[in-house]
Amino acid sequence: MIRRLSRLVQWIEDGALVLVLVGLIGLASLQILLRNGFDTGVAWGDEAIRLMVLWLAVLGAVAASRGDRHIRIDILGRLLPPRLKLVAALIVDVFTIAVLCVLTWHASRFVRDAIEFEDRLLDGLPAWWFQLILPVGFGLMALHQLAVALLRVVGKAPTSEPGSTETP
Amino acid sequence: MIVLTSLALLLLALLGAPLFAIIAGSALLAYSREEVDLSAVAIEFFSLAEMPVLVAIPLFTFAGYLLSESGAPARLVRVTRALFGWMPGGLAVVSLAACAFFTAFTGASGVTIIALGAILYPALATAGYPDRFNLGLVTSAGSLGLLFAPSLPLILYGVVARIPIDDLFVAGLLPGLLMLVMLAGYAIFVNRNRRQSFADFSWREVAGALREAIWELPLPFVVLGGIYSGYFAVSEAAAVTALYVLLVDVVVLREVALSRLPGIMRESMLLVGGIMIILGFSLASTNIMIDAGVPQQLLEWIGTFVSDQTTFLLLTLVFLLLLGAILDIFSALVLVVPLLLPVATSFGVDPIHLGMVFLATMQLGYLTPPVGLNLFIAGYRFNKSIVDVYLSTLPFFAILLISVVIIAFWPNLSLWLLSLS
Repeated sequence: MIRRLSRLVQWIEDGALVLVLVGLIGLASLQILLRNGFDTGVAWGDEAIRLMVLWLAVLGAVAASRGDRHIRIDILGRLLPPRLKLVAALIVDVFTIAVLCVLTWHASRFVRDAIEFEDRLLDGLPAWWFQLILPVGFGLMALHQLAVALLRVVGKAPTSEPGSTETP
Repeated sequence: MIVLTSLALLLLALLGAPLFAIIAGSALLAYSREEVDLSAVAIEFFSLAEMPVLVAIPLFTFAGYLLSESGAPARLVRVTRALFGWMPGGLAVVSLAACAFFTAFTGASGVTIIALGAILYPALATAGYPDRFNLGLVTSAGSLGLLFAPSLPLILYGVVARIPIDDLFVAGLLPGLLMLVMLAGYAIFVNRNRRQSFADFSWREVAGALREAIWELPLPFVVLGGIYSGYFAVSEAAAVTALYVLLVDVVVLREVALSRLPGIMRESMLLVGGIMIILGFSLASTNIMIDAGVPQQLLEWIGTFVSDQTTFLLLTLVFLLLLGAILDIFSALVLVVPLLLPVATSFGVDPIHLGMVFLATMQLGYLTPPVGLNLFIAGYRFNKSIVDVYLSTLPFFAILLISVVIIAFWPNLSLWLLSLS
């Protein structure tokens, strides 16, 4: 059940990421074509492009959280003996989850304010539609980190080998 | 209390906490100390959507990842081999040039070692080069080309320092070439007794290699020509590149199956997300630091023992070398540049020159333990111990260090081309 749910979540996350990236490439190319070929452009195009970039950033970060592959320094952690290493990793997980929970809470307050004040973006669309990605993204990252921590306890956490297209 | 929380955050960072969490945590703490509403952190983060140049980052990164999954690396090696293979130490020069070119497109994320190293490392061995030399070459070439357009760190520096990215692209040409030429010179010198050249020059091979790479050939012209001539804005060149690479690799050449595309997109956006989330939270933490007057304090403090530009640059070099050893280039850029830049300007250092020094020095960070990314990737990829890899890169490291010193103390190398336009 949990496995099916997590697969569904992954499918939605990846689907959204692919959709936004393809949309971004399409829209950005269309803008260039219109600007250079017809001396025109979609009025809200540039703003939409910038919003898509933000969405991509958050969705990419969510994907990084799922695989526990965020950029980190990790000098001490590497040197610790296995048992302590696990303890250190769990402390770090708890800290990360805590920060993400605080962020999720305050990002949702940010969205609530935008709803209340009826902020608008993109030619009059409600701003909160686009801002919603922040609390949702941070919340998903917290959940993923929690899953990583739980898997760590049972010894099944995703290992990110250097070179397995792992990033710095 | 402030000291205590900072130490706790530092310890967590060293234990391997994600950097974005450290930065977000410190921003949240600082905001609550200054009694600013914490939702301001989210507002600052959302201002990522107000930076038009950022669009270049996902688009170029995706194009680079896609290229590395196609047959482009092999074709790139063939073209460079046909052009430079006849020189003494030819294949070494080929490797350096191909790596630099490829890194410029893939943004120095370690992809070069995986995509090109896998082809070049065995080829160098077959050509009879000593193993240690090959390992060092492939590892250190993995981040060469960082200063060439359209590399990701170069774009990110422009974003953080608020400098036109086109200017940075122009400025990076000569310092980047210097690094390339010095390493090539070393490679030729080491292999000076290897008289037998790697391949005879033949017009036929050149033509064949070029014909094979016909679809990739327009890329450098579109990107570099488009940007350098001012026809394209950087973000436009990024869009054209992404669309073009997508069409060529998936539709025309069909080297990347449609079914693999989502995976490649996810992998590349994972890197983008990892960098941009740090950028987003650092917008918040930098703002509060600037409000608190940290740059001025830093300047006053440095002013107590540094009075001239030369000493300042020297200290900056040492600082950046140490920084590069523990922090990856993207986080270092985002975190340090906003603080370093005002200080550097007050010492009369040109922001563009500072960028070249910063990036060139951080490039060395890829080769320095404990967190030199290239060392780990090469060790993993070629099945060598980290110590082996590290020792093999030492001569290359020394050469690059000399080039960094030249870049630092010869500002006109970075600024001369700009002064022409």
